[in-house]
Amino acid sequence: MRALYLFYGLIILALLTMAEYRGWSLASVNEVKNVPRSVRDNPGSYRSVYSSYHHYTGGK
Amino acid sequence: MVVSSDHPNPPATPQVKAMNCPGCGAALTLRSFTQAVTVVCQSCHSILDAQDPQLKILQQFQKTTGEDPPLIPLGTRGKLRGTAYEAVGFQRRTIHVDGIPYSWHEYVLFNPYKGFRYLTEYNGHWNDVSTLKALPTLNSFVGEVTVSYLGEKYRHFQTAEAATTYVLGEFPWQVRVGETNEVTDYVSPPRVLSSEKSGKEVSWSMGEYVSGRDVWKAFSLAGEPSQPIGVYENQPSPFSADTKQIWTIFAAFALLVIVMLIGFASFAGNEQVFQGDYAFDTNSRSEPSFVTDPFELKGRTSTLELSTHTSLDNNWIYLNYALVNQDTEKAYDFGREVSYYHGYDEDGSWTEGSRSDSVAIPSVPPGTYYLRVEPESDRGHGTIHYAITARRDVPQFSFFGIALLALLVPAALITWRSINFEHMRWAESDHAPMESRNDGDDDE
Repeated sequence: MRALYLFYGLIILALLTMAEYRGWSLASVNEVKNVPRSVRDNPGSYRSVYSSYHHYTGGK
Repeated sequence: MVVSSDHPNPPATPQVKAMNCPGCGAALTLRSFTQAVTVVCQSCHSILDAQDPQLKILQQFQKTTGEDPPLIPLGTRGKLRGTAYEAVGFQRRTIHVDGIPYSWHEYVLFNPYKGFRYLTEYNGHWNDVSTLKALPTLNSFVGEVTVSYLGEKYRHFQTAEAATTYVLGEFPWQVRVGETNEVTDYVSPPRVLSSEKSGKEVSWSMGEYVSGRDVWKAFSLAGEPSQPIGVYENQPSPFSADTKQIWTIFAAFALLVIVMLIGFASFAGNEQVFQGDYAFDTNSRSEPSFVTDPFELKGRTSTLELSTHTSLDNNWIYLNYALVNQDTEKAYDFGREVSYYHGYDEDGSWTEGSRSDSVAIPSVPPGTYYLRVEPESDRGHGTIHYAITARRDVPQFSFFGIALLALLVPAALITWRSINFEHMRWAESDHAPMESRNDGDDDE
C-alpha cells in the first residue's frame, strides 16, 4: 500500500509540474483553425461560437 | 506402556502408551504420557482419569453433545515455530452474550520436551497460545482496565463465563464437560492475554494471531482453511501500519507541493504583454467588434491570463473574445460575462457579481497575437468603460489545491478503513461503541 501510494503521489506531482510548466488551465476555450486574415480589417466578419450565449440579466 | 526417557543422553524416541477404555473397551492411546491428567475416549466420549492405572471414568457426555470433529485430527503432528507438536486434545468452549451462544475450539498440542501448547480457532481465526510464566500487572485508569506484560499494554476486551461443551483426547488438567470459568481477554494485536478464573485459581495465557493458512501448512492438513469471518479481537489490522506511513508520506508530499507552489510563483514570468482601455456605447448601433494591436508572446508554451476590469453599475457586459495568432491563423475563442449589481432591501445592503473577471487561456504557444473583442449588453444603459490586460506565464494555483486534494483522498480513505476495522473489532467487545449497544438493547 505504501509503495502504491508513493507511486501515485509521484504521478500527481509529475502531473502538477507538467500542468504548471506547460501552462494548463481549467478554463474552457474553443480552438478555431483557419481564421481568415480579413478579420483584422473587418472584425465584424468573425462569428464567435459564443455569440449565441444566453446572457444573465440578474440582480435581485 | 511408556517407552520413557530413562536414557537422558540421547533421549529415547517418545512412544504412545496403549490402553483400553473401561467404558467401552476401545483402544486408547496416551500421547502425552504421564503428563495427561484426563483422557477422553474417542469412541464412547468417557472422560477418564489418566493418572489412575485403572482409568477411572470421571464423566460421560456423549448423549448430551453432538459430534464436533476437530479440524486438526488428534494424532496429527506438525511443526509450530520450529518445534514439532502433536495434537492430543480438543475442546469446545461456549460463552453466552445477550443469550446468544458463541463457541470456539481449543486444540491441545504436546511435545515431550517442550510440554503443552494450544491452538484456538473461532470463525476461521486462529491463535497460537502458551501459558505465561510470569503474572501481568493489572492497571485501571479512568474506567479503562489494562494489563501490562513484558512492557506491552493490553486493553480489556471482554469478560465472560465460558463453559466447556465438548472434549476429546488428552488434557493436562481435570477437564469436565459443563465446567465453567470466568475468561477475561486483554488485547494488543496481534497478541491477546487471557486470564481464566476457576474458584480462587487464576491462570494466564498469551495468544498470538496466526493465519489459518499457516496452521494448515504447519500440520500438512488437506484442503484449504475456511475464510475468517468478521474481525477477531486480536486480529492485526491490515491498515494500522499503512495509516501511519501514508500520513507521513502525505506530509512529505504536501511539503513538496508547497515548495513547488513557492517555486512556480517565484519563477513564473507573470509578464504583462498587453493593456488597453475601451468604452462600449450601448446606445450606438454601429458594429461593436474591434481588434487590438498585435502583441508578442515569448518563451515556452504557457498560460495567457486575460483580465477584464469594468465600470459596471447594476449592469452587465458580455465580451466575445478571440485570441488570434496572426501567423498561424489559429484562434482561441471564448466569452466572458461580467456583471455587477447592488442595492438595499429589508436585510440591508447587498451586492452580486463583480466588476472584474479573469481567465487563463491554456497552453498558448509563443507568437504574435491580437485580440478580437465583441462587447454586448442591454441597450440604453449608456457607456460601459472597461480595460483588458493580458499577462503571460501566470501560475495556476488551483492545480496545487487539486494536487493536495488528490493526495489527501487515498490517505483519508485508508484512515477511514482502519477506523472501520477497529470499530468492527470493538463492536464485539464489552466496550462496544454506543450504536452497537443500542442495537443490542433494541433486541431485548
